[in-house]
This record gives sequence, structure tokens and C-alpha cells, in this order.
Amino acid sequence: MDLEQQQTEASTRSLTLSFVLKELRRFALIFFIASFGIFLALESMPEDPISLRVKNPDPERIAEIRDSLGLNDPWYQRYVRGVGDFVQLDWGESLISGRTVRSEVGRFLPATLELAIPGILFGAALGIAVVLIAHATGWRWLLQPVRGLSALGLTVPIFWIGLLLILFFSVRLGWLPVGGRFDFAHVAPEGSGFLIIDSIVQGNLEALWISIRHLVLPVMTLSLYPAAVVAGTLEARLNQSSIQRLVTALEARGFSPLRIWGRHVLRLVSGPVVTVIGTQAGALLGGAVLTETVYSWPGMGRFIVDGVLHRDLYIIQHGLLLIVVLALMVVTFSDLLARRLDYQLNTREDSDAG
Amino acid sequence: MPAKQQRRKLDYVALFLLVFCLLGLLVTPHDPMAQDFRDQALDGPSFTHLLGVDGLGRDFASRLWQGAGNTVLLAGTGMAITMLLASGLVSLEQVGPVWCGRFIRMVIGLWVALPVIFIGLLLLVFLKPSPSALVMAIGFGNLAFCFRQLRVLWMTVRSALYVRSSEVLGSRGWQLFKWAIWPNLKPDLLALCRLLFAMSALELSGLAFLGLIGDPDFPELGSILKQNQAYLYQAPMLVIIPGAFLSGLLLSVHLSRFHR
Repeated sequence: MDLEQQQTEASTRSLTLSFVLKELRRFALIFFIASFGIFLALESMPEDPISLRVKNPDPERIAEIRDSLGLNDPWYQRYVRGVGDFVQLDWGESLISGRTVRSEVGRFLPATLELAIPGILFGAALGIAVVLIAHATGWRWLLQPVRGLSALGLTVPIFWIGLLLILFFSVRLGWLPVGGRFDFAHVAPEGSGFLIIDSIVQGNLEALWISIRHLVLPVMTLSLYPAAVVAGTLEARLNQSSIQRLVTALEARGFSPLRIWGRHVLRLVSGPVVTVIGTQAGALLGGAVLTETVYSWPGMGRFIVDGVLHRDLYIIQHGLLLIVVLALMVVTFSDLLARRLDYQLNTREDSDAG
Repeated sequence: MPAKQQRRKLDYVALFLLVFCLLGLLVTPHDPMAQDFRDQALDGPSFTHLLGVDGLGRDFASRLWQGAGNTVLLAGTGMAITMLLASGLVSLEQVGPVWCGRFIRMVIGLWVALPVIFIGLLLLVFLKPSPSALVMAIGFGNLAFCFRQLRVLWMTVRSALYVRSSEVLGSRGWQLFKWAIWPNLKPDLLALCRLLFAMSALELSGLAFLGLIGDPDFPELGSILKQNQAYLYQAPMLVIIPGAFLSGLLLSVHLSRFHR
């Protein structure tokens, strides 16, 4: 019996290892394609980004600047150097502001993460809670908004929902701020760049309250789409006959609805829920960019869009690659987490989760 | 058959709305770009301006109508590009050599991991921000999703028993496609088109809202919303109506069936 158990564990370990290797290979391939795509796009740019920045376009001066930035080197050298710089976090300077791209990212990325992480978590929690409560209590009317929510993702633009929320909560009721990340009349806490964490660390309750008030509407807007996706997936999964049979068996054993749905069923469906959040990472990223624009949230989305519109070479090169890396990290992490949570995925040899 | 009649009604509503929007490209009560009514800026509805005047003195109904027309036209074009490219790739993958099919599947597998917003921004690095650049962005952005759906549909129908039976009975090539494959592929293909149209319209208006459409005055529902966001306090209807119109249009397309 022990030997059999050891063999099963060894086989699971080797499957997990091969899965991790597969994920890493995919990560590397997509990174290569994305970095080369960005390089090609920058090479095909109709305008010379250096000429756009020089007030008096003197050809000699432009050639000097291009030389100093290594832009006259052969293409393969420039590509390899660009990837090397990205990996070493040496992201150059913005041609517009003159500040280093790394310091700008350090300023904007925490803002985006402070919005995106609660948005996704709140949305997922909302989707899970509504569907599980509807099934556990038998209040099927709760599922009606879930069905409506799944249509919402394909019919209503997220930025319009954001504008409606501003109209209602800020303009009409005056409860919450219209936009921005912090009150201009107060000094924002400094430290990690995450205002909520910094407020808590410094024990500044007023700053914490201001940060939370600014966060409520953007998080509500951003959470709707994850809530819709998670609720739709969960509802489909719970209607599977295997889950239905399990629930009936657990009910027959006299388990309480809370124990059945909150413990056993939730554990079974958590894998697919994490997977669906991961596969929707790109769409969520797009939603975050739009939400930032609606609420004038000083995040990465606006920073990169402005960089592209102003042809800011290094922001495009490293900022866009950073978007892909972030999206890929979410996908990879969610796949690994789903595998950890879902026993079937972990032991299925022909699994195609990667 | 009340349910069938109900579905038919929804089809007519969707068709009417799409045609109505496209008509806005040909006729509008006033010039949607001309700032002819500056003295009446942000005025409410009247007989001459059914939905009022926007902040720059333009007839809002005309802008909305042409904006809806542009959204439908551009999203439809983006959808057509996606479908054409995906159909071409699926054909090549099915008919071409094995290595070619493998290569296409590998590229699509990687392409699908790239966010649409990334593909859109990447294209706008070397294309000038314009409506046509956005059409290309959504056309290429949805390619991987469409390829996968189309491939599954094709494989399902191609291996179906009725298609195999037709082959056994001697049907080949165009005849097989016309009589056995197409009638069964068409309903799912139309459903895929509806889904792609909704995705394209939402992505297009999203990218336009970000200011990537180039000319901020270009009448498109996303860019109209962006421009009117500044008047949220004074004239909220300028923000409510375009979003409601786009949502209503997409809801009608979502609920329509056309083929059944």
C-alpha cells in the first residue's frame, strides 16, 4: 500500500514538473514573439522618434543622438540589447519627460495593481458567492442577475458602466469622488506606492479612508466583468451531473448546506474558476486600462497609451513588453494554482491545461 | 408558434437597428462635424435638435446617428477581416502540408495569449491612429479566438455522420460542401459572427474611448462618449444616450437568432 502511494506521489510530482517545464517553454516562446513583434513595430514606425523630440531637427545632431542611443547599430544587436536591457531592468529614459522609464513604471505600476487586484478578487468573490448562495439556499431567483451578468460582458461597454456609476454615486449622491487616486487637498502617504498599504503602515487613518473612497467606484467597475465570467463558469460547472450526484450523496449523509457548498463543492470548483480568471487576464487588462481612463487613475494603462500616441521609444519598447509579461505571469500562475487546486488536472496524464 | 414568432421579432429589431445605424452614414438632419450651433451649446432637446446640442455646438442626434453608423460599419469590417483571415488559416491548416498545419496551430496557441489591447497598441506603433488602424487592430486581435472556434466547428461538421454518409454515397468537393457541410455549418457560423460583431464593437469603442482613433471629433460611439465625458455634470444625457444606444444595439444582436 505504501509502495503504491509512493509511486502515485512520484508520478504526480513528475507530471507537475513536466507541466511547469511546459509552462516555462510557453512563457519563453511568447516573450520572444512579443519582444520581436515590438521590435519590428518600432522599426516600421513611420516617424523617427528622435526627430520628433529635437526642437530644431539638425541632421548631424539627430545622427549624434541616434549614435549615443545605439540606434544605428545592426538590427540583431539592437534587438538583443533591447531584450537584455529589459531583463536587467535598464529601461532607458522617456524621450518626452526625460525621467527613467523604470522610475515611471515604479510610480504607475503600484497604482494599477492597487486597482486590478481588488477588482479581480472582489469580482471573483461576488460571482462565487451569488452562485453558491443560490444553489445552497434554493433561491434560484439569485441566478437571474447572473444570467443577465453573463450577457453584460458582451453588450455593455465597461467604460460606460464606469461613467454611469460616477453619475449616480458622485454627481447625484455626492458620496464618492469622481476620479483620481487621492485627495489633492491632502498629502498622500509615501513608501511602497500602494496608498492603502502605506496608510496602514503609517497608521494614517484619514489617508486610508481617502484612498478607499477613491478606490470604491473603479473597483466596482472593474469587478463586474470578472464577476460575470466567474459566475457563468461556476453555474455551468455546478449543473454538471457529477457535482449534482456528489451534492445528493453529501445531503444523504446529513451534511449541512454550508459544509456541502462552502467546503466540498467550493474546493472542487475552485480550479476551473482560477483557470477562467487566468485565461481572461488579457481582457481584464484591457478593462483595467479603460477603467483607469474613466476615473483618471494614474496607472500603467494611461502611461503606455500616452507613450504610444507620443511615439516615446523606450516607453513603447519596455512598457508594452511589461504588459505581456504581466499578463503571462497571471496566466502561468493561475494555471499552476488551478493544477494545485484541481486534483483531476494534477493526475490526468493527457491533461491539456497548458 | 409564439416562441418562434418572438424570435423572429427580435431578428427584425436587430436588422432594423443595424440598417438604421448604417443609414446615418448617408443622411443626418444636420452636419455632425460642423459647429453651427455654438450659441446653443449644451441646450436640451428641441424641435430642431431632437437630442439637443453638444458642448461644441453640434447637433447631437446627427452625431449619434452617424457615430452609430460608423461603429456598425467599422466593427462589421473588423469582424469580416477576422472571419476571412481565420477561414483562410483554417483552410490552409486543413488542406496544406502537416508541418504547415502544426506551425499555424503553434502560432495561434501563442497569439491567443496576447491581450487584444496589446495587439491594438502594437499596430498603432507603426500605423497612424485612425479608424482604419483600429479596424486592423480588432481584426487581428480576435484572430486567434476566431480561428479556434472556426476550427472546432469545421472539425465537428466534417466528421459528422451525415457528411460521412454523403461521401459514401459519392458526394465530393463542392457538391459535398454545398449539400452536406454548409447547411449544417451556417447556423453556428452565424452565431460566431454575432459574437465576433459584439466583441469587435466593444473593442472598437473601447480603443476609440482611449483616444486611439486619431481625430477626436470623428463620430464614433466610443469617441463621442470620451468627448462628452467633460460635460458629465452639465449634460449627463450626452453620456447616457450613446452608451445606452450601443448597449441596446448589441443586446438586440445578442438576442437575435437569424438562422433558426
